[in-house]
Amino acid sequence: MSLWLLVDPHLWQQTLVYAAPLIIAALGELIIERSGVLNIGIEGMMLVAAVTCFVVTWQTRSAAAGIVAGMGAAAILTLLLVYYAVALGGPQITVGLGLYVLGVGLSSLLFRVVFGVRTSPPSVQTLAPVPLPGLADLPVVGHVFFHQTLLTYLAFLLVPLVHLALFRTPWGLRLRATGENPRSVDALGISVERLRYGAAAVGGLLIGLGGAYLPIVLTGTFSDNMTAGRGWLALMLVIFGRWMPFTALGGALLFAYVEAFQFKAGIVEKAVPVQFLLMLPYLFALVVLVRIYRGARAPQALAVPYDREARG
Amino acid sequence: MDRRSFLALTLAGAAARPGLAAAQAKRKMAMIMPGPIQDADFNAVGYLALQQVAKTYDLQVSHSESVVVADAERITREYVTAGYEIVANHGGQFIPIMNKLAPQLSNATWIQEASGRLPNLPKNVWNIGRKFHQGFYVLGALGALATKTDRVGMVCGVRLPDVITSVNSVAQAIKDVNGKAQLLYNWVGDFNDPVKARQTAEAQIAAGADFIVVFVNLGLSGVIEAVKAAPRPVLLTTFYTEKWDLAPKNLAISLLFDFNKPYHEIVGKILKGERTGYYEMRPGSGMELSEIRNVPPGVGDKVRAIFKDVVGGKAIPEVLDKTP
Repeated sequence: MSLWLLVDPHLWQQTLVYAAPLIIAALGELIIERSGVLNIGIEGMMLVAAVTCFVVTWQTRSAAAGIVAGMGAAAILTLLLVYYAVALGGPQITVGLGLYVLGVGLSSLLFRVVFGVRTSPPSVQTLAPVPLPGLADLPVVGHVFFHQTLLTYLAFLLVPLVHLALFRTPWGLRLRATGENPRSVDALGISVERLRYGAAAVGGLLIGLGGAYLPIVLTGTFSDNMTAGRGWLALMLVIFGRWMPFTALGGALLFAYVEAFQFKAGIVEKAVPVQFLLMLPYLFALVVLVRIYRGARAPQALAVPYDREARG
Repeated sequence: MDRRSFLALTLAGAAARPGLAAAQAKRKMAMIMPGPIQDADFNAVGYLALQQVAKTYDLQVSHSESVVVADAERITREYVTAGYEIVANHGGQFIPIMNKLAPQLSNATWIQEASGRLPNLPKNVWNIGRKFHQGFYVLGALGALATKTDRVGMVCGVRLPDVITSVNSVAQAIKDVNGKAQLLYNWVGDFNDPVKARQTAEAQIAAGADFIVVFVNLGLSGVIEAVKAAPRPVLLTTFYTEKWDLAPKNLAISLLFDFNKPYHEIVGKILKGERTGYYEMRPGSGMELSEIRNVPPGVGDKVRAIFKDVVGGKAIPEVLDKTP
């Protein structure tokens, strides 16, 4: 196998395109977790967003309407989670798993109700790449970095924006404090509930955008379980990134790189079992996660229901 | 009238209704499928065939979709216990389950799809042998004749016998028709993951492929998006159903499967008491070519001639134990 394969510009372009939905969803999850709520229903939420985006785009012929609808659908589910977690003080892991299963079933049902059984799959127009003037013509890097869709650019733009929001604004400080020590936030007269609902709404919108990315950028259609574990990967990326946006981005790029690499390697290298190649990105994620998790510190109040009346 | 008398009269009246009695008398058939029926592909055509035989023979039918092998035994037992006398396994992955249950549940009759004639077939099993590799030989020949880069891609789902034999026959066709051309193939690991299928197709296009033979179901949508976004014209093939409207500029051919025909014939025979047999689906028998598009007319003519040869019995090696 040629070493050139490792630095093939097309491999890097694929890395950016396929890392984008992971990083968008991971940022959404990161915001929610920073507020002290653990959302493990992200896979199901992305699926509901994907099907909603596809159905609305199909009906309205407007990608923008589809994306907004997909984002909204996921936000409703995250708000539902936070309602259980905040207002009812329910177990977040149980509710999150319930929402995951709900999302898997609901997305499939919705698609079936709208489209039924066909012999040709319904499809919508995917977003076209928008070359950035001046930059897209640069040799090699121009096509790799600056010949992407608007959503792909947005994914990478969101990383510094979320970082700034979390670490350079009063809202971010309050949100992080809510995830670490909600009692101290409450003592300052700031509503913990409102912050958590706000984080869930923003995070849900981003998770929805990550789900909508799949049909509207990559496939032009919806299929059952099309997220294929990307929601769980986004959840892992938050831990991988130690709840920091830029390190989560690094994880998304690494995973997408290995995933794209195994398809390229599969063409030229037939001696390696195909099952091993298909497993490679997940094996890589597991190994890296085990290494990275050492010393990682989750927000102190993550998954702990806040009761202002409790003695503590 | 007290409540008990009213209930008894109601039940008696319902039992006396001819429609209900007829419904109770209907013979029952179930189909077990490995994927969702809205895949617009393999499972959808199986489902439509099931509905067609229900209409033709006035059967009560039911189906279970996205069935994993581990669940197939339980589901089959539930159907047979509920009085379903015909169980159709629309997928080769259910063969071990059929082999286990058919001798035990001898009142039921199975229809088992496979890549060919099954050895030691139980006496209550009909076997549909789908000779995919013969049809894919023709698709491979079209790829070999139409490619301008001498690189033909093939996007494959899961390493099942049908797919392995088809990869080998596409490689054989390329060797027979265009010795300079090369086959680039990948396994997606899933028939219905359009995202990974797109990544696979993009990798093949980047490696020079300008013609892609597709052996995935819903994954096709991802391949189509890859082909549409390619920096040069790329053609592709589909199978099971005609999907030309999805990519009119890129779709070259579809290998069309008609499951209505074998199911219609086999179910008819089962209802008459013939409980075992073999039906082969192959070019000319349940497998046809669609119109050939987006290639020069001469190429289309050659491919039709090759298809005719295959229909006429041209020997195509069925290699199952290795891939190229």
